Amino acid sequence: MLIKPVAEDFRVIAHSMGRIFVVVGLAGLVPLGWAAAGREWHPFSSFLLMIGIFLFLGVLGLRQPGSDRLDWSHGMVVVALTWLLVPIIGALPFVLSGHWGGEIDALFDAVSGLTTTGLALVQDLDHLAPSLNFWRHLLHFLGGQGIIIAALIVFAGGGALTLYLGEARDERILPSVTSTARFIWSVSMVHLVLGVTTLGLVAWRVLGFDLPRAFFHGLMIFFAGFDTGGFAPQSTSVGYYHSAIFEATAGVLMVAGAMSFGLHYALWTGRRRAVLENLETRTILSTFGLTMTMTLIGLAVTGLYTHVIGLTRQGFFQVLSAHTGTGFATVSATELSTWGGLAFGGLCIAMALGGMASSTAGGVKALRIGITVRAIVNQIREVLLPEGAVVGTGFNQAGRRRLTPQLAQAAMTISLLYVALFLVGAGIGMAYGIPLDQALFESVSAGANVGLSVGVTQPTMPVLLKLVYIAEMTLGRLEFVAAFAFLGFLYAAVRGK
Amino acid sequence: MRRLLVLCGLLVLILAPSVPAVAQVPVSVLITDPSQYKGTVTVQGELVGDYGYRSDGTVWTQLNDDSYAREPLLEGGERTGGNVGIGVRIPADLVAGLDPPGGYRKRGPLVQLTGEWEYHDPDRGGESYLDVAELVLLEPGREFGEGISYPAVIIGAAFIGAAGVLWLRRPRSG
Repeated sequence: MLIKPVAEDFRVIAHSMGRIFVVVGLAGLVPLGWAAAGREWHPFSSFLLMIGIFLFLGVLGLRQPGSDRLDWSHGMVVVALTWLLVPIIGALPFVLSGHWGGEIDALFDAVSGLTTTGLALVQDLDHLAPSLNFWRHLLHFLGGQGIIIAALIVFAGGGALTLYLGEARDERILPSVTSTARFIWSVSMVHLVLGVTTLGLVAWRVLGFDLPRAFFHGLMIFFAGFDTGGFAPQSTSVGYYHSAIFEATAGVLMVAGAMSFGLHYALWTGRRRAVLENLETRTILSTFGLTMTMTLIGLAVTGLYTHVIGLTRQGFFQVLSAHTGTGFATVSATELSTWGGLAFGGLCIAMALGGMASSTAGGVKALRIGITVRAIVNQIREVLLPEGAVVGTGFNQAGRRRLTPQLAQAAMTISLLYVALFLVGAGIGMAYGIPLDQALFESVSAGANVGLSVGVTQPTMPVLLKLVYIAEMTLGRLEFVAAFAFLGFLYAAVRGK
Repeated sequence: MRRLLVLCGLLVLILAPSVPAVAQVPVSVLITDPSQYKGTVTVQGELVGDYGYRSDGTVWTQLNDDSYAREPLLEGGERTGGNVGIGVRIPADLVAGLDPPGGYRKRGPLVQLTGEWEYHDPDRGGESYLDVAELVLLEPGREFGEGISYPAVIIGAAFIGAAGVLWLRRPRSG
């Protein structure tokens, strides 16, 4: 029997939501300041409105009793509501700018930004105000690092663990959730300084941009690369830069973003051996090699590239972008749609598999793939070995762990949910007359929070398809649990006793 | 005599060495079917983004051939989808004196570029771009304004004020 939530439950949820709204409202001060500095008064006014609404709702929430009683279901509802409401309010500057076709398009890009997907419906991006461009990319940073993690750092309070886990973070790196959250943001800040400096210097000294623009590009590409987002400040994505060095620098950040923060911690503490023995590291290296080989062979067969260096550079970058869930492209969507056969398959599989658990990347995640493969191999060995033989069931993931049937089942269930999500999205796309391969590609890209496109995602696409992709992006980012818990909470509120 | 002149004129036209025609291609077509346009092509559009001055004496930038190149959204242009552009490599001396490239509140110079369409250039790691030999300025760049939204400022300030009052008058424990 479901228990109907009482007023106390709503107050606890409202208090936590208040904390998150205040944090996002304060984050909005950065683009506001940017707009003021650049005398971009129209974006300035829209940021002021957005911040006002966030702070007002935030303070309203904070006036409710504290969150010491925040339990598991409250936490899940808070997480789901955060990912539902923050993009709605965060889309206001987009709506008011006139660069988006309407509220749904603006919401689409806000969700895409926050979920670090990178699919975009913005129009005339090349004339967009820098402060709005910055807000698009800052959404990647907020979503990738975790708004809730930021709130955990700013506000101490109960229920930290449930909020942390609800936002699809699987492991605590340090003993407390707050110290883990602080570590995640410390890693991000170090990468921010190093990444922006390197990208900015490359853009300035190698690409020949003027200094302020060089660091503007560096900052935008850092946000989108390290947070495996995929937005870019110009309409031709990373292809705009026409530079292998710039692509390589962005690539390093993409890999860093797709690594779990647990592995970052291992690297920071000098435990390189732990990194190499890690199940996720081994899995992702294998799947990357496999999808890369598929794509390169596929490209060679199609004859699109006449030289091995061109084929390798373009193939490598696109697969890296797909597997890390970033979504940067150095070829146009139109050209990507001609990558048929094995190249298409390689990219699609790379997107679906995604990066590591507890990273900023999306997709099924290497941990689940590794566990699933290990469980299947163990089952086969049990069948083949003599009766009574002992089959090893351990794996390395932040220390030695035991592969229990429950763990394998959980990994397989979430993996299957992802497959179902991809297929439902593809089916709806096909219902609108989009060819199977393109519908599947775009659906996987949305559900796995990648952002590569073969041209289906555009302002003229059907509204229902936009809403489906919005749902896919959100479900994919939250890894289903928080969204299902929220639906359960709503059901209990209506039908519970 | 008149007939003789016409005949001579026709002979000159027929016997004159043929000059290869340069195809003027819309960028959207060039992107859709890039492999069909090997060789010299002419494109028109707005230079946007940045002028990247490379050490080899060339400048890299982007040429957009879309409705916004004529009339950007903020100048009252219609929404017609995303931008349509290609990368262009121009000798630095051709860029000298041009207005800054297009961006926020700036319509970049409208130009006609003629050059080699390098599709998946093996010398540049498979990049596709136009290697420009000739640049004709069709229209200089221009700047335009965008006003403040007073209703948004007033409502936003009211919300912030209300949030401040609520925060100051919040119930305090103890």
